[in-house]
Amino acid sequence: MKIALRQLLTRPNRTKTAIEVEEELQFHIEMLERKYAQQGMSGTHAKAAALKRFGNLERVSKQCVNISRRSSLVRRVLKLSSVLIALTGLSIHTLSSDYKVARIGTMLITIAVSGRLLVYVRGLTFLSGTKTSLSVVTDTPKDAAPT
Amino acid sequence: MANERTDLMQGTLELLILNTLARESMHGYGIVQRIHEAAEDLLKVEDGSLYPALYRMEERGWIKSEWGLSENNRRAKFYKLTSKGKRKLETERANWNRISKAITKVLQAT
Repeated sequence: MKIALRQLLTRPNRTKTAIEVEEELQFHIEMLERKYAQQGMSGTHAKAAALKRFGNLERVSKQCVNISRRSSLVRRVLKLSSVLIALTGLSIHTLSSDYKVARIGTMLITIAVSGRLLVYVRGLTFLSGTKTSLSVVTDTPKDAAPT
Repeated sequence: MANERTDLMQGTLELLILNTLARESMHGYGIVQRIHEAAEDLLKVEDGSLYPALYRMEERGWIKSEWGLSENNRRAKFYKLTSKGKRKLETERANWNRISKAITKVLQAT
């Protein structure tokens, strides 16, 4: 039941995301193909060269879909939770005449605000542990010892 | 002469993307081309690896995307810097300058 509900909630979004990711990556590969063709390569060679230069298309596509899905789902859940907690806290705080109960309201508001701040700070930290393929090309003599 | 590849530090690709987008909004292919041109082909970005980086940067709110028409009238996704991304670029530029200055000093000292 839980799985079916989750699939129902996420499936339409995931499909749309997957289609958009595919379209975006396909555009990149077609632009590469066009560039190689303009340089004089035949259609087949240009396509092969474009795919080689792009790297692992399936892996990249999967990564993008996962990030996009995670990003929108987490953001929606966090936003909704913090708003609900803040509203509950605010209601308790304003409606209650008992000092102790009003303090619970203040605490809930603090939790909601802290949660939002945490998400903001997380966004400010640079990515760690992600593998990106960026390298410097250096010319070395042919007879240099292999490293 | 043979080409040898030296991997760069984590976060460098993100810095280059932010810097490239500071001039104008661009699609992924354009970003890679601009980096290659600016670095006179001394920097190699594996084209596919750009996209997970772009998606993560969008997740963090540094850039945002919208679909538009490319120079050859094809539908393409364009990325542009957000105000948060602009602040991030300034911070990371300053960090990069500090690190490169420090490393240069160490190399000159030995």
